[in-house]
Amino acid sequence: MESSSVTNSGLSYSTALKIAWRESRSSASRFLFVILAVAIGTGSLTGVRGFSRSFRAMLLKDARTLMAADLSIRVFEQPTETQLASFRKWESRGLERTWITETVSMLSGDGVAVPQLIALKAVDPAKYPFYGQVTTTSGLPLPAVLAGDGVGVSDDLLTRTGLTPGSTVRIGSATFTIRAVLLDEPDRMSGSVNVGPRVMMSRENLDRTGLTQLGSRASQRHLFRIASAQADAIIQQVRDDLKTVFPDAVFADYRETHPLITRGLNNATTFLSLVSLIALVVGALGVAMAMQAHLQTKLDSIAILKALGGRSAHILRIYLSQTLVLALAGGALGLLIGFGVQLLFPLLIAQFFPVSPTVEFQWLSIVEGLGLALLSTLLFTLPTLLGVRQIRPIVILRRDMDGDAPPAAERWKQWRASLLAGFLILAGMTAMATVLIDANWRDSFRISAWFVGGLTVALFALAGFSWALLRGLRLLLRAPGRRLPSALRHGLANLYRPGNHAEAVLVALGVGVMFTLTVYLLQSSLLGQIAASAPPGMPNVFLINITESDRAAVKSFLENGPGVQGEVVVSASASGRLKAIDGKPIDQIALEGPAKRFLRARNLTWSAELPKQTEVLAGAWWKNSSPDRPEIAVNQESARLLGLAPGAVMEWECAGRRLALRVAAIFRTEAVGPGANAEFITSPDALRQVPMLYFGAARVAPAQIPQLQKLSFQKFPAITMLNLADVLDRVQEVVDQVALVVRSISAFSILAGVIILASSVAGSRLRRVREVVILKTLGATRRRIANTFTVEFLLLGGVAGLMGSLLASAFSSLLLTRLLDARFVFSLWPNLAAIVASALIALAAGWLASFRILSQKPLEILRNE
Amino acid sequence: MATDTLSSSASPAIRVRGLTKSISTPSHRVDILRGLDFDVPAGQFVAIMGPSGSGKSTLLGLLAGLDNPTAGSILLDGEEIVGLSEDNLARLRGRKLGFVFQSYQLIPTLTAEENVLLPAELCGASGQPAARARELLNSVGLAERRDHYPVQLSGGEQQRVALARAFMLAPPILMADEPTGNLDSANGQHVLDLLLTMNRQQRTTLVLVTHDPQLAARADRRLLMRDGVIVSDE
Repeated sequence: MESSSVTNSGLSYSTALKIAWRESRSSASRFLFVILAVAIGTGSLTGVRGFSRSFRAMLLKDARTLMAADLSIRVFEQPTETQLASFRKWESRGLERTWITETVSMLSGDGVAVPQLIALKAVDPAKYPFYGQVTTTSGLPLPAVLAGDGVGVSDDLLTRTGLTPGSTVRIGSATFTIRAVLLDEPDRMSGSVNVGPRVMMSRENLDRTGLTQLGSRASQRHLFRIASAQADAIIQQVRDDLKTVFPDAVFADYRETHPLITRGLNNATTFLSLVSLIALVVGALGVAMAMQAHLQTKLDSIAILKALGGRSAHILRIYLSQTLVLALAGGALGLLIGFGVQLLFPLLIAQFFPVSPTVEFQWLSIVEGLGLALLSTLLFTLPTLLGVRQIRPIVILRRDMDGDAPPAAERWKQWRASLLAGFLILAGMTAMATVLIDANWRDSFRISAWFVGGLTVALFALAGFSWALLRGLRLLLRAPGRRLPSALRHGLANLYRPGNHAEAVLVALGVGVMFTLTVYLLQSSLLGQIAASAPPGMPNVFLINITESDRAAVKSFLENGPGVQGEVVVSASASGRLKAIDGKPIDQIALEGPAKRFLRARNLTWSAELPKQTEVLAGAWWKNSSPDRPEIAVNQESARLLGLAPGAVMEWECAGRRLALRVAAIFRTEAVGPGANAEFITSPDALRQVPMLYFGAARVAPAQIPQLQKLSFQKFPAITMLNLADVLDRVQEVVDQVALVVRSISAFSILAGVIILASSVAGSRLRRVREVVILKTLGATRRRIANTFTVEFLLLGGVAGLMGSLLASAFSSLLLTRLLDARFVFSLWPNLAAIVASALIALAAGWLASFRILSQKPLEILRNE
Repeated sequence: MATDTLSSSASPAIRVRGLTKSISTPSHRVDILRGLDFDVPAGQFVAIMGPSGSGKSTLLGLLAGLDNPTAGSILLDGEEIVGLSEDNLARLRGRKLGFVFQSYQLIPTLTAEENVLLPAELCGASGQPAARARELLNSVGLAERRDHYPVQLSGGEQQRVALARAFMLAPPILMADEPTGNLDSANGQHVLDLLLTMNRQQRTTLVLVTHDPQLAARADRRLLMRDGVIVSDE
């Protein structure tokens, strides 16, 4: 007989894989759960990131259409002479330019009970849009719609007001005719004002409304088209040149995705990726649990392998290969789920981004998804896999040897390995989070360290809670003299069944509940807070776009208006750029972090007297201001950042005028409310030559707000009156949409928890079958056994829900009070709903994984024993 | 017999000196083996006998490097195995030792052939291991059942698969722990005949732990153990 010769090469990876594959055949159902647990997190992650990439690809591919131009400049001021000269220079070289103004205003019309807040957009229909098309229901081209007194409106205006095409409406001090319903405008996403129904009109008509006075803060976009032959050659040159005259503007050109949308997209992607990472981590915990249960059944096989000459490294290789193949399979399934998420995502955000980017095959997303699936699985199964080394081959000869305590050196080695594994898990999670965060590496690392720290604390808190609760329940069960109903007693006892992993299930489900509920609590607390933040005394009606000429009249109108309570505040605001301090140009002063804001335009206001609840910390408030001695007071924070003290001279540029203002005082204010957060207050005459805008605020009896709005519109049609309740409705719409997206993604972590529960139930199936058979043999009915299982599953889900909701309240309270500066109020109903929902979900998952157990015939099992 | 010609060679297949094994539990300490000394020349068939708890299986486990002794020395083929690392012990087992256990110890998730192949796979053996595995299964009369799983085989068949596995790498030393202990007499006899035939063919040193005096009677040498010491060597 020819024998095989022995070499020292050991077990190759391909052989390890072969053995792993043979091993897996008998564990198909357990491994199915492993694959699902990995797939859920991966699916959520690749779905979010794949959608983000598709969206970004679309932004880039359709950049011209989404801007309606080759180059777009957005500012909040009307162009100065210098800026107009720059425009003319480039126009003379063949560039085409068009100007778009967007602002909020009020609209009224026949049969419209209360003037409506609208998002007004004025364009030159002869030029706009340079790319893409504005489509209307009437099929009329835009110039025809906006000709004469024509305006185009979005259909939600008609739904809200009952107006129809042909109706006459009043905006500002002019009347118009609705000529068509706008279906689509190419640059809606890159626009500034998306609050309220859209009304589009020509620039000439905007002038007729009288809404854009000098100093108006309406958003101004200047769009350029460059002849395609020269676009690539000169775009950067045009941009650089215009940047010198528009230092504060947001620039975007066709070579990039729009910076404002991109920033939002990046933030959202980072946030949702981290939420998905939680699902991935929960799934990985489940995988670790399943692999541990799997290896528990393989102790004898591993001991045999070792007795036959298998080294620990070889055996590790077998189970490592198995784990990696499972993770890969889970990752692959996750990619399919992610594909589904990508398809569903546009539906979730349809209201604000009516787009459906083409879902594309992306290598990067696939590599990223599979990589993260592999890494997370590997990290969390590491301690279990390393445990293979501690299995001693002698157990196949003498099981009692297993209890022989290892020597101290060995125990220290085991401890060291556990510590190392723990460190690797934390480091790996931080690395994964860092990759997912869209920021520079330093910020990414900082945020991911916080994220991983928070998640670790949450997981440990949940594990501690689970342990304590299970222990408490056990004490309850064993309390002398206590006779609990038998179904409850057995159900409780089932939680301690070996291999049940009740703690892991509680942690996994708990994390899911905690996160989903935290999102809900934050959302409802913040909205509730805004709604409640108009307590008696605080303004609930705001007026914007008040000009100098109307200021006194508006104040008096408000003071005598119907339902107006308490004081009416009208505060002034002008926009200016800080140019120099004590003769030193601002760009030569080292400004770091928050101080960089002083490089951009800031708001200035004026006041004769020291505002209420304001304290002068240094210097003195002006008593009699004089035009010859313009002065400025600076708040404490800005003075600190700029290094200002009384006596310093600040040079400002406001609406093309240069002002030198001497710092008279440094102040600190305790006041809250409109106009109270001023950084810079000048003496009354300092801003005399500068166009000012005024904002009004008043507290009005809610029932009388519509009446006040009507009167205001009649008297001051160009002034926009915002009802806080209306604004809140809009905010609520946005927050609801965002919360829906976040909740949908965070639901994946609940799903991962459910899979872990099902896996744990399926893993203890053999034990359950035996119990059922014994109970049946002893005369228990199916109903009685079913009750026992029901109690067990309800308890698991309920307890997980309880822990999750407690932690959610704790986290929300922490975030609201520490980060968001808001108040936390415990609300019972959402917590109760979370507990009940979690219990019901656990019940459904538990029964799905075990319903066939009840139909086992006792004899089949007993005969096989 | 081959044993006689080989016993005079310089180093024995197994040399044991001062072998001691104790287990400490929190409450007490148990001395399982108390200073054993013996040599087993290459090619010899040694039966280790003794009542339950006498230390037979512990001795076998130590000889096979499945566990570490508390004190003493064990040389296999002239190589000291006490103090070797877990991995070096595993390497040595793969190279020099074959095993037959009382409860067969087949991997339940692998077929008969896959079980026989295992030692070759674990050691990265070259040649044609699959062909040898089939030959061995053929020689134990299980060629037709090579695709069966352990659970589909009778006890006797499982032990024959274990025999084939033990000889897969033609080890110089074979350890057997009550190889017929779980079998009825007919199957037990069949397995024993096979074991001894293969042992003769492969010229292996055989250390066999048994309760069965009839089985022990077929050995070249019998060591009788009681309370962790060898009380007779004949």
